[in-house]
Amino acid sequence: MSKNIRLPLIVGLAVLVLLPALLQVMGSGYLFRVSITAMIFVILAASLNFITGVAGLLSLGHAAFYGIGAYTAALLATRYGVPFLLTIPLAGVAAAIGGVLVALPTMRLVSIYFAVATLGMGEIIYGTLLNWVDFTRGPMGIPAIPSFKVFGLDLSGNLGSYLVVAVVMLASLWVLHRLTHSYYGNALRALREDDQCADSMGIDVVRLKGEVFAIACFFAGIAGSLWAHTTGYISPGDFRFGESILVLAMIVVGGLGSLPGAVVGAVLLIVLPEALRPVGDVRMIAVGCVMFFSILLLPKGLFGEVSALNLVRSSFGAGWKPGVRGVVGWR
Amino acid sequence: MTIAKTILGALAGVAVAASAVPALAQKTIALGYQAPLTGEMSQYGEVFRNSATMAVEQFNKSGKLPGATVVLKFEDSKNDAKEGVNIAKKFVDDQEIVGVLGDFSSTVSMAAAQVYAQAGVPQLSQTASHPDYVKISEWQFRNITTQAYEGPFVAKWALGEGKKKIAVIAIQNDWGQSVVSNFKDAVEKNGGQITAVEFYNPGNRDFRTILTKIARERPDAIYLGMFDEDGATLMQQRRQLNVQIPTYATSSLYSPKLVALAGPSADGLKLSTTFAVDNPEPVVKAYVDEYKARYKADPTMFAAQAYDATNIMLAAIAKVGPNVDRKSLRDALAQTAGFPGVTGETTFDPQTREPSKQLARMEIKGGQFTLVK
Repeated sequence: MSKNIRLPLIVGLAVLVLLPALLQVMGSGYLFRVSITAMIFVILAASLNFITGVAGLLSLGHAAFYGIGAYTAALLATRYGVPFLLTIPLAGVAAAIGGVLVALPTMRLVSIYFAVATLGMGEIIYGTLLNWVDFTRGPMGIPAIPSFKVFGLDLSGNLGSYLVVAVVMLASLWVLHRLTHSYYGNALRALREDDQCADSMGIDVVRLKGEVFAIACFFAGIAGSLWAHTTGYISPGDFRFGESILVLAMIVVGGLGSLPGAVVGAVLLIVLPEALRPVGDVRMIAVGCVMFFSILLLPKGLFGEVSALNLVRSSFGAGWKPGVRGVVGWR
Repeated sequence: MTIAKTILGALAGVAVAASAVPALAQKTIALGYQAPLTGEMSQYGEVFRNSATMAVEQFNKSGKLPGATVVLKFEDSKNDAKEGVNIAKKFVDDQEIVGVLGDFSSTVSMAAAQVYAQAGVPQLSQTASHPDYVKISEWQFRNITTQAYEGPFVAKWALGEGKKKIAVIAIQNDWGQSVVSNFKDAVEKNGGQITAVEFYNPGNRDFRTILTKIARERPDAIYLGMFDEDGATLMQQRRQLNVQIPTYATSSLYSPKLVALAGPSADGLKLSTTFAVDNPEPVVKAYVDEYKARYKADPTMFAAQAYDATNIMLAAIAKVGPNVDRKSLRDALAQTAGFPGVTGETTFDPQTREPSKQLARMEIKGGQFTLVK
């Protein structure tokens, strides 16, 4: 067996057969649910990794595109009865369009200015979901979103939902992996390391940035549709700034620019708070400590291509220049 | 000698354990409680836990349910829908759990409710006020004065005092939406007029623009639908701007924190309430005294609602007996009628499962909440 297909095969087998079989034997709806949440955040982390890790654009508004996807799927399913096989890709398309619309005016911005612009865009989208009461029902949220049902086949149970989410996640990861490990991915890395240099080498920087945003937001939208269908009720509160930061923390802990890193980071930050439940009220402090020490001891994250420090340095520009005795820090 | 002592000790230990078995043979009935015990809403989760623990300890001591002990299992939802759903699945898996209390916000309660509805576990929230919450399935209950009841109550109070033109300020969330729609309908039906409706986004700290804008219309009164911190800020800014329009509010502003933060600015605020610390009724007095003795603080309205929610659940368990299961507990809950709680007599409508409660009128005078007779 060639080495190229061995790893995907093992991963596929583990996610589609071994893990669900194990969970089914244990008969635990709780563990199924935690796995589903983790897989949704794997898609989110992988898509943000594509923008921030691979292309080097610090985005602070990713939860907003996750929200656009969730609302698209929820509104299509509850108002027009569209089946989930259509709502999932349509949610992705809607989020991608949102991503391009955000990318267009912000493309000329670099470093911290771009990050702040995405932060603002995220807040605008959250504010729209919250205040456009006639269309999104505002703070009332959207209840009774149907679960996965297709051609008379009921996939709304623990196992069914798990498998649907797992298949979508694996497909998303495969696409993102192929995009990252190709000439296209190399062009994005050039963009990350030095966009002016990349421009002078003949790479169409503005177009590339727009495409990156569209692709990543497409997958964020898909993650949103999965959240809407598996939870059954969404409201704007699920897509606040805090979620953007959570996803960003996932890829920093896992390692910027690395797809396995994004996957591991997402699983870690979803499973850890659940695993620490027995600790009681201090569990979130324990999660904070894990994040703190992982960035202190592993500045590149678990599998990182570039260190998070480098990203901060390039994003915050002149604030970070080697000072006296080569020490890096705020001057 | 030492070995003999050890053996003797071990035997004694076994004997003690053996004699303790009959007492331990009592059946354990568990209730799940999901609430924000950490994070930005943890102050609410904290008082829920205090009240619920107290209620269950009192119940177990009272001997109302011979042959069984009730235990509470708390889980922290951080007021996050993701975690709320995870907890719901966890509680459903736990076969000891016959019923669930919580969550705090409507968002998290409703996300979790989808799980409870599917699995058939009765869920009683002390605070979820979203109009659609109890419509999710026959398994959802709540112990909160809905705005369908409170809105008309305050509307009639204000209109009765000759306030015909009223402006409304409310928080932009599901609860704020229902505050406005119910109050507006009630005022307009009873011959009054709403001059303005202003929503503000959660986290807003500056109400001066809103106050200036609505004061220009010269309403006879302002009606507030918000929580203590926002209310305190608004009342302070109202005083700074010297807006002297009489102000009414929902029961959510009944909190010691409001007067602590707003100081003299809060004077004259009129609000409806289901619970008052200085209520002389014996059941309320006993609760307030014990809560103070245990936790060195006055119980808030939220604490009282959690206390009643837990007690309603326990009363339903006692009605069914030690062999209670999820279905029989649901049926018993649906029959709750005239429950004498600290937040007034509570009755659940057997069909819609909406609670009805008696409301009282309150006014802040000299930094004190006083009941209006």
